[in-house]
Amino acid sequence: MHAASRVRPFRATLERVAVFIVLAALWEWAVDIFAIKPYLLPALSSVLRSLWHNRMMLLEQALVTGGEIVLGYAAAVIGGVLMALAIFTWPLAYRMFYPVLVVFQGLPKIALAPLMIVWVGYGTSSKVLMAFLFAFFPVMITTLGGLAGTPEHLVEHFRAIRASPWTMFRRLRLPAALPSIMDGCKTAMPLAVIGAIVGEFVGSQRGLGYLILESNAQARTDLLFAALVAISLLAGLLYWAIELLARRVWWRAL
Amino acid sequence: MAGIVGSADPLEATVRVLRVSKTFVGANEVRALDTISFHVGRGEFVSIIGPSGCGKSTLLRIVAGLIMPDPGGTVEVFGRLQTAPSNDIGVVFQTHNLLPWLTAEANIRLAAEVQRIDAGEIRERVEAILPVLKLESFRNSYPHQLSGGMRQRAALGQALVCQPQLLLLDEPFAALDALTRDQLNVELLRLWQAIRKTVILVTHSIAEAVFLADRVLVMSDRPGRVIQDLRVDLPRPRDPSSTKSRPDFSRYVVHLGTLMGLA
Repeated sequence: MHAASRVRPFRATLERVAVFIVLAALWEWAVDIFAIKPYLLPALSSVLRSLWHNRMMLLEQALVTGGEIVLGYAAAVIGGVLMALAIFTWPLAYRMFYPVLVVFQGLPKIALAPLMIVWVGYGTSSKVLMAFLFAFFPVMITTLGGLAGTPEHLVEHFRAIRASPWTMFRRLRLPAALPSIMDGCKTAMPLAVIGAIVGEFVGSQRGLGYLILESNAQARTDLLFAALVAISLLAGLLYWAIELLARRVWWRAL
Repeated sequence: MAGIVGSADPLEATVRVLRVSKTFVGANEVRALDTISFHVGRGEFVSIIGPSGCGKSTLLRIVAGLIMPDPGGTVEVFGRLQTAPSNDIGVVFQTHNLLPWLTAEANIRLAAEVQRIDAGEIRERVEAILPVLKLESFRNSYPHQLSGGMRQRAALGQALVCQPQLLLLDEPFAALDALTRDQLNVELLRLWQAIRKTVILVTHSIAEAVFLADRVLVMSDRPGRVIQDLRVDLPRPRDPSSTKSRPDFSRYVVHLGTLMGLA
Protein backbone atom coordinates (compact mmCIF):
# COMPACT_ATOMS: atom_id res chain seq x y z
CA MET A 1 0.00 0.00 0.00
CA HIS A 2 1.12 3.51 -0.80
CA ALA A 3 2.35 5.46 2.19
CA ALA A 4 0.07 8.43 1.54
CA SER A 5 -3.10 6.35 1.75
CA ARG A 6 -2.30 5.39 5.33
CA VAL A 7 -2.46 9.02 6.46
CA ARG A 8 -5.72 9.82 8.18
CA PRO A 9 -8.30 11.51 5.90
CA PHE A 10 -8.37 14.73 7.92
CA ARG A 11 -4.61 15.21 7.63
CA ALA A 12 -4.67 14.32 3.94
CA THR A 13 -7.28 17.03 3.31
CA LEU A 14 -5.28 19.47 5.38
CA GLU A 15 -2.16 18.80 3.32
CA ARG A 16 -3.97 19.38 0.06
CA VAL A 17 -5.62 22.58 1.28
CA ALA A 18 -2.29 23.81 2.65
CA VAL A 19 -0.72 23.79 -0.81
CA PHE A 20 -3.54 25.93 -2.17
CA ILE A 21 -3.31 28.37 0.72
CA VAL A 22 0.44 28.80 0.26
CA LEU A 23 0.05 29.33 -3.50
CA ALA A 24 -2.75 31.85 -2.93
CA ALA A 25 -0.69 33.74 -0.38
CA LEU A 26 2.33 33.84 -2.73
CA TRP A 27 0.13 35.20 -5.54
CA GLU A 28 -1.40 37.93 -3.37
CA TRP A 29 1.93 39.11 -1.89
CA ALA A 30 4.00 38.80 -5.07
CA VAL A 31 1.62 41.14 -6.94
CA ASP A 32 1.95 43.61 -4.09
CA ILE A 33 5.71 43.33 -3.48
CA PHE A 34 6.77 43.43 -7.14
CA ALA A 35 4.12 46.07 -7.97
CA ILE A 36 2.81 44.10 -10.92
CA LYS A 37 0.38 46.09 -13.02
CA PRO A 38 -3.22 44.84 -12.61
CA TYR A 39 -3.74 44.37 -16.37
CA LEU A 40 -0.80 41.91 -16.37
CA LEU A 41 -1.69 40.00 -13.22
CA PRO A 42 -4.41 41.17 -10.85
CA ALA A 43 -4.10 40.34 -7.17
CA LEU A 44 -5.97 37.25 -6.05
CA SER A 45 -8.24 39.42 -3.90
CA SER A 46 -9.37 41.49 -6.88
CA VAL A 47 -10.03 38.31 -8.87
CA LEU A 48 -12.17 37.02 -6.02
CA ARG A 49 -13.93 40.38 -5.77
CA SER A 50 -14.62 40.31 -9.50
CA LEU A 51 -15.92 36.73 -9.18
CA TRP A 52 -18.35 37.80 -6.49
CA HIS A 53 -19.55 40.99 -8.20
CA ASN A 54 -20.12 39.27 -11.53
CA ARG A 55 -21.43 36.01 -10.15
CA MET A 56 -24.83 36.17 -11.87
CA MET A 57 -23.32 37.21 -15.20
CA LEU A 58 -20.67 34.47 -14.95
CA LEU A 59 -23.32 31.90 -14.15
CA GLU A 60 -25.37 33.05 -17.13
CA GLN A 61 -22.40 32.82 -19.50
CA ALA A 62 -21.37 29.47 -17.99
CA LEU A 63 -24.84 28.13 -18.73
CA VAL A 64 -24.50 29.25 -22.35
CA THR A 65 -21.11 27.58 -22.77
CA GLY A 66 -22.18 24.58 -20.71
CA GLY A 67 -25.22 24.08 -22.94
CA GLU A 68 -23.04 24.16 -26.06
CA ILE A 69 -20.64 21.64 -24.53
CA VAL A 70 -23.34 19.24 -23.37
CA LEU A 71 -25.18 19.30 -26.72
CA GLY A 72 -21.98 18.83 -28.76
CA TYR A 73 -20.71 16.16 -26.40
CA ALA A 74 -23.97 14.19 -26.41
CA ALA A 75 -24.06 14.31 -30.20
CA ALA A 76 -20.43 13.16 -30.31
CA VAL A 77 -21.05 10.20 -27.97
CA ILE A 78 -24.17 9.08 -29.83
CA GLY A 79 -22.64 9.71 -33.26
CA GLY A 80 -19.29 8.18 -32.33
CA VAL A 81 -20.84 5.00 -30.96
CA LEU A 82 -23.23 4.66 -33.93
CA MET A 83 -20.47 5.29 -36.47
CA ALA A 84 -18.23 2.72 -34.76
CA LEU A 85 -21.11 0.22 -34.79
CA ALA A 86 -21.71 0.79 -38.50
CA ILE A 87 -18.03 0.45 -39.32
CA PHE A 88 -17.74 -2.67 -37.17
CA THR A 89 -20.89 -4.32 -38.53
CA TRP A 90 -20.64 -3.59 -42.25
CA PRO A 91 -17.34 -4.14 -44.03
CA LEU A 92 -18.61 -1.82 -46.75
CA ALA A 93 -19.01 1.02 -44.23
CA TYR A 94 -15.49 0.27 -43.00
CA ARG A 95 -14.02 0.47 -46.50
CA MET A 96 -15.98 3.60 -47.37
CA PHE A 97 -15.89 5.71 -44.24
CA TYR A 98 -12.82 4.70 -42.32
CA PRO A 99 -10.25 6.35 -44.65
CA VAL A 100 -12.31 9.57 -44.68
CA LEU A 101 -12.52 9.54 -40.89
CA VAL A 102 -8.78 8.98 -40.54
CA VAL A 103 -8.11 11.99 -42.77
CA PHE A 104 -10.53 14.14 -40.75
CA GLN A 105 -9.01 12.91 -37.51
CA GLY A 106 -5.58 14.13 -38.66
CA LEU A 107 -6.96 17.57 -39.51
CA PRO A 108 -6.51 20.11 -36.69
CA LYS A 109 -10.10 20.75 -35.64
CA ILE A 110 -9.23 24.29 -34.53
CA ALA A 111 -8.55 25.17 -38.17
CA LEU A 112 -12.16 24.31 -38.99
CA ALA A 113 -13.65 26.85 -36.56
CA PRO A 114 -13.83 29.81 -39.02
CA LEU A 115 -15.42 27.52 -41.59
CA MET A 116 -18.07 26.40 -39.10
CA ILE A 117 -18.96 30.06 -38.43
CA VAL A 118 -19.29 30.66 -42.19
CA TRP A 119 -21.43 27.56 -42.60
CA VAL A 120 -23.79 27.64 -39.65
CA GLY A 121 -23.46 31.21 -38.40
CA TYR A 122 -22.55 33.03 -35.19
CA GLY A 123 -25.20 31.34 -33.08
CA THR A 124 -25.11 28.35 -30.78
CA SER A 125 -24.93 25.73 -33.54
CA SER A 126 -21.38 26.57 -34.65
CA LYS A 127 -20.11 26.08 -31.04
CA VAL A 128 -22.06 22.85 -30.65
CA LEU A 129 -20.56 21.68 -33.91
CA MET A 130 -17.03 22.53 -32.72
CA ALA A 131 -17.55 20.66 -29.43
CA PHE A 132 -18.88 17.74 -31.48
CA LEU A 133 -15.87 17.72 -33.84
CA PHE A 134 -13.42 17.69 -30.93
CA ALA A 135 -15.20 14.95 -28.98
CA PHE A 136 -16.34 12.65 -31.80
CA PHE A 137 -13.09 10.88 -32.73
CA PRO A 138 -11.95 9.60 -29.34
CA VAL A 139 -15.41 8.11 -28.72
CA MET A 140 -15.53 6.46 -32.14
CA ILE A 141 -11.99 5.07 -32.00
CA THR A 142 -12.34 3.61 -28.48
CA THR A 143 -15.76 2.12 -29.27
CA LEU A 144 -14.35 0.48 -32.37
CA GLY A 145 -11.42 -0.86 -30.35
CA GLY A 146 -13.73 -2.16 -27.63
CA LEU A 147 -16.03 -3.94 -30.10
CA ALA A 148 -13.13 -5.53 -31.98
CA GLY A 149 -11.43 -6.54 -28.73
CA THR A 150 -14.16 -8.92 -27.54
CA PRO A 151 -12.31 -12.04 -26.33
CA GLU A 152 -12.40 -14.70 -29.05
CA HIS A 153 -13.23 -17.54 -26.64
CA LEU A 154 -16.37 -15.74 -25.51
CA VAL A 155 -17.44 -15.18 -29.12
CA GLU A 156 -17.00 -18.92 -29.67
CA HIS A 157 -18.98 -19.65 -26.51
CA PHE A 158 -21.87 -17.54 -27.80
CA ARG A 159 -21.73 -19.40 -31.10
CA ALA A 160 -21.81 -22.68 -29.19
CA ILE A 161 -24.98 -21.67 -27.34
CA ARG A 162 -26.45 -20.58 -30.69
CA ALA A 163 -26.86 -16.91 -29.85
CA SER A 164 -28.28 -14.74 -32.63
CA PRO A 165 -26.11 -11.85 -33.88
CA TRP A 166 -28.33 -9.42 -31.97
CA THR A 167 -28.01 -11.41 -28.73
CA MET A 168 -24.28 -11.67 -29.26
CA PHE A 169 -24.14 -7.88 -29.62
CA ARG A 170 -26.44 -7.02 -26.74
CA ARG A 171 -25.20 -9.54 -24.20
CA LEU A 172 -21.54 -9.86 -25.17
CA ARG A 173 -19.99 -7.27 -27.48
CA LEU A 174 -21.65 -4.19 -26.01
CA PRO A 175 -20.91 -4.92 -22.33
CA ALA A 176 -17.41 -6.08 -23.28
CA ALA A 177 -16.83 -2.79 -25.12
CA LEU A 178 -18.30 -0.55 -22.40
CA PRO A 179 -15.05 -0.05 -20.43
CA SER A 180 -13.31 1.23 -23.60
CA ILE A 181 -16.31 3.32 -24.57
CA MET A 182 -16.21 4.92 -21.11
CA ASP A 183 -12.51 5.68 -21.54
CA GLY A 184 -13.36 7.42 -24.79
CA CYS A 185 -16.13 9.39 -23.11
CA LYS A 186 -13.74 10.54 -20.38
CA THR A 187 -11.12 11.63 -22.93
CA ALA A 188 -13.76 13.40 -25.01
CA MET A 189 -15.22 15.58 -22.24
CA PRO A 190 -12.32 18.07 -21.84
CA LEU A 191 -12.00 18.13 -25.64
CA ALA A 192 -15.65 19.16 -25.99
CA VAL A 193 -14.93 22.04 -23.58
CA ILE A 194 -12.00 23.14 -25.77
CA GLY A 195 -14.19 22.88 -28.87
CA ALA A 196 -16.92 25.11 -27.49
CA ILE A 197 -14.44 27.75 -26.21
CA VAL A 198 -12.61 27.79 -29.55
CA GLY A 199 -15.95 28.23 -31.30
CA GLU A 200 -16.73 31.21 -29.08
CA PHE A 201 -13.27 32.70 -29.67
CA VAL A 202 -13.77 32.70 -33.40
CA GLY A 203 -17.12 34.42 -33.39
CA SER A 204 -19.83 34.94 -30.81
CA GLN A 205 -21.63 37.38 -28.56
CA ARG A 206 -22.15 35.08 -25.61
CA GLY A 207 -20.44 32.52 -23.46
CA LEU A 208 -17.31 32.29 -21.31
CA GLY A 209 -15.00 32.22 -24.34
CA TYR A 210 -16.55 35.48 -25.56
CA LEU A 211 -16.22 36.91 -22.04
CA ILE A 212 -12.49 36.12 -22.01
CA LEU A 213 -11.94 37.94 -25.30
CA GLU A 214 -14.08 40.89 -24.17
CA SER A 215 -12.37 41.36 -20.81
CA ASN A 216 -9.05 41.03 -22.61
CA ALA A 217 -9.98 43.79 -25.03
CA GLN A 218 -11.07 46.04 -22.13
CA ALA A 219 -7.90 45.20 -20.16
CA ARG A 220 -10.10 43.87 -17.33
CA THR A 221 -7.73 41.08 -16.44
CA ASP A 222 -9.47 40.46 -13.10
CA LEU A 223 -12.65 39.54 -14.98
CA LEU A 224 -10.61 37.43 -17.40
CA PHE A 225 -9.30 35.45 -14.44
CA ALA A 226 -12.79 35.16 -13.01
CA ALA A 227 -13.94 33.71 -16.36
CA LEU A 228 -11.03 31.26 -16.27
CA VAL A 229 -12.11 30.12 -12.81
CA ALA A 230 -15.67 29.70 -14.08
CA ILE A 231 -14.46 27.59 -17.04
CA SER A 232 -12.35 25.40 -14.74
CA LEU A 233 -15.31 24.83 -12.44
CA LEU A 234 -17.58 24.05 -15.38
CA ALA A 235 -15.10 21.62 -16.96
CA GLY A 236 -14.45 19.97 -13.61
CA LEU A 237 -18.16 19.54 -12.93
CA LEU A 238 -18.82 18.00 -16.35
CA TYR A 239 -15.85 15.63 -16.05
CA TRP A 240 -16.96 14.57 -12.59
CA ALA A 241 -20.43 13.71 -13.94
CA ILE A 242 -18.88 11.43 -16.58
CA GLU A 243 -16.54 9.93 -13.99
CA LEU A 244 -19.55 9.01 -11.83
CA LEU A 245 -21.22 7.36 -14.80
CA ALA A 246 -18.03 5.49 -15.74
CA ARG A 247 -17.81 4.02 -12.25
CA ARG A 248 -20.86 1.93 -12.99
CA VAL A 249 -18.77 0.06 -15.57
CA TRP A 250 -16.53 -1.64 -13.04
CA TRP A 251 -15.61 -4.80 -14.93
CA ARG A 252 -12.72 -3.43 -16.94
CA ALA A 253 -9.64 -5.65 -17.22
CA LEU A 254 -11.26 -8.56 -15.44
CA MET B 1 -5.30 -47.39 -38.57
CA ALA B 2 -7.74 -45.52 -40.76
CA GLY B 3 -10.75 -47.81 -40.35
CA ILE B 4 -13.48 -47.39 -37.79
CA VAL B 5 -12.03 -48.01 -34.37
CA GLY B 6 -14.15 -50.35 -32.32
CA SER B 7 -16.93 -49.18 -30.07
CA ALA B 8 -20.27 -50.21 -28.74
CA ASP B 9 -22.98 -51.20 -31.22
CA PRO B 10 -22.78 -48.43 -33.86
CA LEU B 11 -26.60 -48.21 -33.98
CA GLU B 12 -26.54 -47.09 -30.37
CA ALA B 13 -23.88 -44.50 -31.07
CA THR B 14 -24.42 -40.90 -30.00
CA VAL B 15 -21.46 -39.61 -31.93
CA ARG B 16 -20.12 -41.05 -35.18
CA VAL B 17 -16.92 -39.53 -36.49
CA LEU B 18 -16.12 -40.83 -39.97
CA ARG B 19 -12.87 -40.17 -41.81
CA VAL B 20 -12.51 -36.67 -40.42
CA SER B 21 -9.45 -34.67 -41.45
CA LYS B 22 -8.71 -31.02 -40.86
CA THR B 23 -6.18 -28.84 -42.59
CA PHE B 24 -5.79 -25.23 -41.57
CA VAL B 25 -4.96 -23.11 -44.55
CA GLY B 26 -2.90 -20.05 -43.91
CA ALA B 27 0.62 -18.73 -44.35
CA ASN B 28 1.83 -22.28 -43.76
CA GLU B 29 -0.61 -25.10 -44.12
CA VAL B 30 -1.10 -27.20 -40.97
CA ARG B 31 -2.63 -30.65 -41.14
CA ALA B 32 -4.18 -30.96 -37.69
CA LEU B 33 -6.22 -34.16 -38.04
CA ASP B 34 -5.72 -37.13 -40.35
CA THR B 35 -8.68 -39.39 -41.24
CA ILE B 36 -10.06 -39.96 -37.77
CA SER B 37 -12.98 -42.35 -37.24
CA PHE B 38 -14.64 -43.51 -34.03
CA HIS B 39 -18.03 -43.98 -32.40
CA VAL B 40 -19.16 -42.97 -28.97
CA GLY B 41 -22.02 -44.99 -27.51
CA ARG B 42 -25.01 -43.54 -25.70
CA GLY B 43 -24.15 -42.75 -22.10
CA GLU B 44 -20.51 -43.56 -22.62
CA PHE B 45 -17.66 -41.59 -21.00
CA VAL B 46 -14.81 -41.33 -23.49
CA SER B 47 -11.48 -39.62 -22.87
CA ILE B 48 -9.24 -38.42 -25.66
CA ILE B 49 -5.59 -38.06 -24.76
CA GLY B 50 -2.59 -37.08 -26.80
CA PRO B 51 0.46 -34.82 -26.82
CA SER B 52 -0.24 -31.09 -26.85
CA GLY B 53 -0.82 -29.75 -30.33
CA CYS B 54 -2.12 -33.08 -31.65
CA GLY B 55 -5.49 -31.62 -32.61
CA LYS B 56 -7.56 -32.89 -29.66
CA SER B 57 -9.27 -29.55 -29.24
CA THR B 58 -9.81 -29.22 -32.98
CA LEU B 59 -11.50 -32.61 -32.99
CA LEU B 60 -13.77 -31.56 -30.13
CA ARG B 61 -14.68 -28.30 -31.88
CA ILE B 62 -15.59 -30.27 -35.01
CA VAL B 63 -17.84 -32.57 -32.97
CA ALA B 64 -19.40 -29.46 -31.38
CA GLY B 65 -20.14 -28.07 -34.84
CA LEU B 66 -18.02 -24.97 -34.22
CA ILE B 67 -15.68 -25.72 -37.12
CA MET B 68 -16.21 -27.89 -40.18
CA PRO B 69 -14.00 -30.87 -41.11
CA ASP B 70 -12.32 -31.09 -44.51
CA PRO B 71 -14.63 -32.33 -47.29
CA GLY B 72 -14.99 -36.11 -47.21
CA GLY B 73 -15.21 -36.42 -43.45
CA THR B 74 -18.48 -36.40 -41.55
CA VAL B 75 -19.66 -36.14 -37.96
CA GLU B 76 -23.06 -37.43 -36.93
CA VAL B 77 -24.51 -36.57 -33.55
CA PHE B 78 -27.77 -38.31 -32.55
CA GLY B 79 -28.00 -39.56 -36.12
CA ARG B 80 -27.93 -36.07 -37.62
CA LEU B 81 -25.12 -34.71 -39.74
CA GLN B 82 -23.30 -32.07 -37.70
CA THR B 83 -23.14 -28.73 -39.53
CA ALA B 84 -23.71 -26.16 -36.76
CA PRO B 85 -23.76 -25.96 -32.96
CA SER B 86 -26.79 -27.63 -31.39
CA ASN B 87 -28.82 -27.27 -28.21
CA ASP B 88 -28.23 -30.92 -27.38
CA ILE B 89 -24.50 -30.35 -26.89
CA GLY B 90 -22.90 -28.64 -23.89
CA VAL B 91 -19.29 -27.51 -24.23
CA VAL B 92 -16.82 -26.54 -21.50
CA PHE B 93 -13.45 -25.15 -22.52
CA GLN B 94 -10.19 -24.81 -20.63
CA THR B 95 -10.58 -21.07 -20.29
CA HIS B 96 -13.93 -20.56 -18.60
CA ASN B 97 -16.54 -18.61 -20.49
CA LEU B 98 -17.97 -16.63 -17.62
CA LEU B 99 -18.93 -13.03 -18.35
CA PRO B 100 -17.22 -10.76 -15.79
CA TRP B 101 -20.25 -8.47 -15.52
CA LEU B 102 -22.67 -11.24 -14.54
CA THR B 103 -22.96 -13.10 -11.23
CA ALA B 104 -22.31 -16.85 -11.10
CA GLU B 105 -26.04 -17.49 -11.19
CA ALA B 106 -26.68 -15.10 -14.08
CA ASN B 107 -23.82 -16.71 -15.99
CA ILE B 108 -25.34 -20.15 -15.53
CA ARG B 109 -28.75 -18.88 -16.64
CA LEU B 110 -27.35 -17.18 -19.74
CA ALA B 111 -27.32 -20.09 -22.20
CA ALA B 112 -30.87 -21.08 -21.22
CA GLU B 113 -32.06 -17.48 -21.60
CA VAL B 114 -30.42 -17.22 -25.00
CA GLN B 115 -32.33 -20.32 -26.05
CA ARG B 116 -35.59 -18.78 -24.81
CA ILE B 117 -36.36 -21.46 -22.28
CA ASP B 118 -39.33 -20.60 -20.07
CA ALA B 119 -38.32 -18.42 -17.08
CA GLY B 120 -39.88 -20.70 -14.47
CA GLU B 121 -38.18 -23.70 -16.01
CA ILE B 122 -34.81 -21.90 -15.94
CA ARG B 123 -35.31 -21.07 -12.27
CA GLU B 124 -36.03 -24.71 -11.46
CA ARG B 125 -32.98 -25.93 -13.36
CA VAL B 126 -30.67 -23.37 -11.75
CA GLU B 127 -31.94 -24.29 -8.29
CA ALA B 128 -31.15 -27.91 -9.09
CA ILE B 129 -27.70 -27.21 -10.53
CA LEU B 130 -26.33 -24.81 -7.88
CA PRO B 131 -26.23 -27.34 -5.00
CA VAL B 132 -24.74 -30.05 -7.23
CA LEU B 133 -21.92 -27.67 -8.13
CA LYS B 134 -21.64 -26.43 -4.53
CA LEU B 135 -22.20 -22.87 -5.66
CA GLU B 136 -25.32 -22.06 -3.61
CA SER B 137 -23.62 -19.57 -1.32
CA PHE B 138 -21.69 -18.02 -4.21
CA ARG B 139 -24.63 -17.51 -6.58
CA ASN B 140 -24.41 -13.74 -6.26
CA SER B 141 -20.63 -13.54 -6.55
CA TYR B 142 -18.98 -12.23 -9.70
CA PRO B 143 -16.40 -14.41 -11.48
CA HIS B 144 -13.44 -12.39 -10.18
CA GLN B 145 -14.62 -13.10 -6.64
CA LEU B 146 -14.63 -16.87 -7.21
CA SER B 147 -11.71 -19.28 -6.89
CA GLY B 148 -10.41 -21.05 -10.00
CA GLY B 149 -12.21 -24.24 -9.05
CA MET B 150 -15.52 -22.46 -8.46
CA ARG B 151 -15.19 -20.72 -11.82
CA GLN B 152 -14.80 -24.04 -13.63
CA ARG B 153 -17.75 -25.45 -11.70
CA ALA B 154 -19.82 -22.46 -12.80
CA ALA B 155 -18.63 -23.10 -16.37
CA LEU B 156 -19.88 -26.67 -16.01
CA GLY B 157 -23.19 -25.19 -14.84
CA GLN B 158 -23.32 -23.05 -17.99
CA ALA B 159 -23.19 -26.27 -20.02
CA LEU B 160 -25.61 -28.23 -17.82
CA VAL B 161 -28.42 -25.67 -17.76
CA CYS B 162 -29.52 -26.55 -21.29
CA GLN B 163 -29.68 -30.23 -20.25
CA PRO B 164 -27.52 -31.43 -23.13
CA GLN B 165 -27.47 -35.10 -24.10
CA LEU B 166 -23.80 -34.79 -24.98
CA LEU B 167 -21.13 -33.01 -22.93
CA LEU B 168 -17.88 -32.02 -24.60
CA LEU B 169 -15.17 -31.08 -22.11
CA ASP B 170 -11.96 -29.57 -23.44
CA GLU B 171 -9.41 -29.84 -20.60
CA PRO B 172 -11.87 -28.11 -18.30
CA PHE B 173 -9.69 -28.39 -15.21
CA ALA B 174 -6.25 -28.08 -16.82
CA ALA B 175 -5.57 -24.60 -15.48
CA LEU B 176 -6.24 -25.62 -11.87
CA ASP B 177 -3.84 -26.88 -9.22
CA ALA B 178 -3.55 -30.67 -8.86
CA LEU B 179 -5.58 -30.87 -5.66
CA THR B 180 -8.56 -28.88 -6.94
CA ARG B 181 -8.35 -30.76 -10.19
CA ASP B 182 -8.59 -34.18 -8.51
CA GLN B 183 -11.47 -32.94 -6.42
CA LEU B 184 -13.37 -31.65 -9.45
CA ASN B 185 -12.74 -34.91 -11.32
CA VAL B 186 -14.40 -36.79 -8.48
CA GLU B 187 -17.33 -34.38 -8.59
CA LEU B 188 -17.55 -34.72 -12.35
CA LEU B 189 -17.64 -38.48 -12.00
CA ARG B 190 -20.40 -38.31 -9.39
CA LEU B 191 -22.36 -35.95 -11.62
CA TRP B 192 -21.97 -38.23 -14.63
CA GLN B 193 -23.02 -41.26 -12.61
CA ALA B 194 -26.16 -39.38 -11.64
CA ILE B 195 -27.18 -38.04 -15.06
CA ARG B 196 -25.55 -40.61 -17.37
CA LYS B 197 -25.10 -38.30 -20.33
CA THR B 198 -22.59 -39.06 -23.04
CA VAL B 199 -19.29 -37.33 -22.25
CA ILE B 200 -16.21 -36.74 -24.36
CA LEU B 201 -13.35 -35.39 -22.27
CA VAL B 202 -10.16 -34.09 -23.84
CA THR B 203 -7.22 -34.21 -21.45
CA HIS B 204 -3.48 -34.63 -21.43
CA SER B 205 -3.44 -36.44 -18.11
CA ILE B 206 -3.29 -40.22 -18.48
CA ALA B 207 -4.35 -40.92 -14.89
CA GLU B 208 -7.34 -38.58 -15.25
CA ALA B 209 -8.40 -40.26 -18.50
CA VAL B 210 -8.19 -43.78 -17.04
CA PHE B 211 -9.86 -42.83 -13.76
CA LEU B 212 -12.88 -41.24 -15.42
CA ALA B 213 -13.50 -42.97 -18.72
CA ASP B 214 -15.03 -46.14 -20.13
CA ARG B 215 -12.75 -45.78 -23.12
CA VAL B 216 -9.59 -43.90 -23.83
CA LEU B 217 -8.74 -42.78 -27.37
CA VAL B 218 -5.04 -42.12 -27.79
CA MET B 219 -4.01 -39.65 -30.45
CA SER B 220 -0.64 -39.38 -32.16
CA ASP B 221 1.42 -36.25 -32.63
CA ARG B 222 0.37 -33.90 -35.45
CA PRO B 223 -1.29 -34.72 -37.76
CA GLY B 224 -3.53 -36.28 -35.13
CA ARG B 225 -4.66 -39.85 -35.69
CA VAL B 226 -6.30 -42.28 -33.30
CA ILE B 227 -3.55 -44.79 -32.56
CA GLN B 228 -5.42 -46.74 -29.91
CA ASP B 229 -8.92 -47.21 -28.59
CA LEU B 230 -8.58 -48.71 -25.13
CA ARG B 231 -11.51 -50.02 -23.13
CA VAL B 232 -11.07 -49.34 -19.42
CA ASP B 233 -12.64 -52.21 -17.48
CA LEU B 234 -12.49 -50.74 -14.01
CA PRO B 235 -15.59 -51.32 -11.89
CA ARG B 236 -17.97 -48.46 -11.18
CA PRO B 237 -18.75 -46.54 -9.10
CA ARG B 238 -15.13 -45.47 -8.98
CA ASP B 239 -13.54 -43.46 -6.24
CA PRO B 240 -10.06 -42.02 -6.02
CA SER B 241 -8.58 -44.17 -3.26
CA SER B 242 -9.85 -47.64 -4.17
CA THR B 243 -9.83 -47.28 -7.97
CA LYS B 244 -6.38 -45.71 -8.16
CA SER B 245 -4.87 -48.35 -5.84
CA ARG B 246 -5.98 -51.24 -8.07
CA PRO B 247 -3.18 -53.02 -9.94
CA ASP B 248 -5.14 -52.90 -13.23
CA PHE B 249 -5.44 -49.11 -12.89
CA SER B 250 -1.64 -48.89 -12.81
CA ARG B 251 -1.39 -51.30 -15.74
CA TYR B 252 -3.65 -49.05 -17.86
CA VAL B 253 -1.63 -45.98 -16.92
CA VAL B 254 1.70 -47.65 -17.70
CA HIS B 255 0.38 -49.06 -20.97
CA LEU B 256 -0.89 -45.67 -22.15
CA GLY B 257 2.32 -44.00 -20.99
CA THR B 258 4.39 -46.41 -23.07
CA LEU B 259 2.13 -45.78 -26.04
CA MET B 260 2.66 -42.05 -25.77
CA GLY B 261 6.41 -42.52 -25.47
CA LEU B 262 6.62 -41.46 -21.86
CA ALA B 263 8.01 -44.69 -20.43
